[in-house]
Amino acid sequence: MSDEEKTIRNRARSARASATDLVRAGAEKRAMWLESASKPLCGSDDPLGQEVRAALTRTTGLAPQMVDWGLRTTLETVRRESLLELVRAGNATFEDKPTVPLGLLGVVLAGNVFAATVRALFIPLLFGVPVIAKVSSKESSFAHVLRRSLHGADSALTRAFQVVAFTGGDETAERSLLAEAEGVSVYGSDETIEAIRRRLGGRLPLFAHGHGLSAAVCGGAALSESRIGRTIAAVALDVAAYDQLGCLSPQVIYVEEAKRGTAEMFAERLSQEGLTALGSALPRGELPLSVGAAQAQWRGTGEIEGSLFEGPDHAVVVSRDRPPRWSPGYRNVTVVPVASPAQAVEAMVPFEGHMKCIGVDAGSKAGLLAALRGNPKNTAYACAIGSMQTPPFDAPADGFLPWHGLLRVKRR
Amino acid sequence: MSLRLSFKRRIVELILACERGETVPEQTRDALIEDLAAWQAEQNPAYAKLRRRGPFPPALPTEVFRRMRVATHPAHEDLRVFVSSGTTSTDRSTHAFADLSLYDLAARVAAKRMLFVDARPMKLVVLAPDERRAPQSSLSYMLSRFSEWFGSTAIWVWHDNALDLELLRDTLRRASQREEPVGLLGTSFAFVHAEDGLGTSRFELPAGSLLMQTGGYKGRSRQVEPATLRASMAKRYGLPEHRVVAEYGMTEMSSQLYETTIREPDREASRRLWAPPWVRATPVHPDTLQPVDGDALGILRIDDCANLDSVCCIQTADLARRKENGIVVEGRAPGALARGCSLAADVVLGSK
Repeated sequence: MSDEEKTIRNRARSARASATDLVRAGAEKRAMWLESASKPLCGSDDPLGQEVRAALTRTTGLAPQMVDWGLRTTLETVRRESLLELVRAGNATFEDKPTVPLGLLGVVLAGNVFAATVRALFIPLLFGVPVIAKVSSKESSFAHVLRRSLHGADSALTRAFQVVAFTGGDETAERSLLAEAEGVSVYGSDETIEAIRRRLGGRLPLFAHGHGLSAAVCGGAALSESRIGRTIAAVALDVAAYDQLGCLSPQVIYVEEAKRGTAEMFAERLSQEGLTALGSALPRGELPLSVGAAQAQWRGTGEIEGSLFEGPDHAVVVSRDRPPRWSPGYRNVTVVPVASPAQAVEAMVPFEGHMKCIGVDAGSKAGLLAALRGNPKNTAYACAIGSMQTPPFDAPADGFLPWHGLLRVKRR
Repeated sequence: MSLRLSFKRRIVELILACERGETVPEQTRDALIEDLAAWQAEQNPAYAKLRRRGPFPPALPTEVFRRMRVATHPAHEDLRVFVSSGTTSTDRSTHAFADLSLYDLAARVAAKRMLFVDARPMKLVVLAPDERRAPQSSLSYMLSRFSEWFGSTAIWVWHDNALDLELLRDTLRRASQREEPVGLLGTSFAFVHAEDGLGTSRFELPAGSLLMQTGGYKGRSRQVEPATLRASMAKRYGLPEHRVVAEYGMTEMSSQLYETTIREPDREASRRLWAPPWVRATPVHPDTLQPVDGDALGILRIDDCANLDSVCCIQTADLARRKENGIVVEGRAPGALARGCSLAADVVLGSK
């Protein structure tokens, strides 16, 4: 349902008008507010927690267990201490010069992974930036529930967070959304971002969070008999989380292969032990038929060009001789053998600028980071396998620190 | 006698039985598919890698035709290689033929049964490039054969990637005045260009005229919902809607499926695609690749016996459901899906 232009404009004004109160509240109070608002949604005991679970199961197509996992793993990280640590880290980058937050940030939300909404909204609010968010037509419930929970935690501060809905590309509504804003964060396709950038014509700073890819890297040490069980479990979770719909989902797993056949062994165990087990604990949601058609093409071609290991709700393809074909998601993933983690970084070069996250085992992290540092175009951040879908608040996004653009040095 | 020749004879018998109006038992077709697929797997190591998943032989994804040669014969024996006209990907499907006689027989018998049901030749107006200008196009090849088999004359009104609107308008006006039935044949996007370009021009094509459209839009025109386009074209050309039919075919196939309404003019509500008796069209489940129940929507698998020199069992990316004894195609799934902030790689590579 779309909001009228007048409503959008009024909400933007209301959010903007609360900027002073939000700043005056201070970081401590804002952090407590965000933590308090997250708690009811973490579990399913609270009526709001039950409501959001039902809504997200309906709107996202994810299984209820996956929705529950996503809510818990995301909102449990909203802790006063860690939020305040983030604020301190942000201020430190300004070398303790006095800063002033933006007066209002417009946020255009994507509909693919609901958990990304938390970071997109909470970090500006934490830094004292009021937010007016435009929800996706695909998933509009989560931002509204978050607002209600924030209101329950502190009704006065919640004036700084407004939610609106309108059809993407509606220029009049978009003008109203951004009339009061001093910046805009856009989550979504590159096409959406470019269209908004064109319409803005440089009038506002635009923070783009567009198309992206992620990959995992497993070095030889992670494949030893004593560690491979944990490696498989971690990678399987990264693949299964949110049914691989997000840009932090690994599409390719680079596996260090000391002797031929290691990649096939890894793929088979990932299928049989990792993804099959998660199929019970975190079942895949319903497969859209259009994705299913692409899946059938992807799996069949993978079986011909490499080796296919599949279960009832997933498939793993080993691709040796050709560049990997990127899967349609929904728990279809490619394993590519490499001689070393550094070679994996080389293999990602064609996608530089689009890489969001690289999951890596502990033993390979130093080597991978060294290889990444040698590439100035790299925008991906490295994290441990098993945590690709649960980024901490201080993780960079698209090559930028989380508070990028939210604060300005105060003029004296 | 070689195995290939033996298979060819069995396929020809099946097609000729259809031409004679005989009922071909499904078991005969299914047994032929089984035997043919097994032989093709022996000739084609890539196809042999596909594992059987149920009652049918494994089906080769159409994407494989874009990535490798799919043939039971060596390249030097190629008589013709058809190449698809895909515009959204840099690589296109190729389908090599060592022999076109089966293709011709299948095309002629199916079209005669479902499209050119009247015995006498008609004037053909073709909204597609002719074979000399598009020698790699299986559609242009088929339409050129149609002009030989079913046409009194053939006027080709698509030149240099554009529709010759004046020629189309003049040809249709003259045909209307002469009471000479016309067969309008072409791609869906060419017909959309005609809709856009002909403005207020209307024609009253003589009784017996027909229109056959085929293919998707491939980004070459605006997209129009099939029933809307059909109604619009019927009105423009003065045709009863049942004389406007879609053909379903692709570079990876040797046979074509046609909508039923020219043959069943009083059963518009039962409009569906008819698969000739040497073709098995089956909507399957995307995870299991097993046939779906009843009229549930699935992804379309085609087993085309006329694909003698490649692979007869094909897994398409089209969505389809059963309807009576035929199928209805409900669109083609995009090969690359950009989902939210996630991205398929060819989108990334395409942007570089």
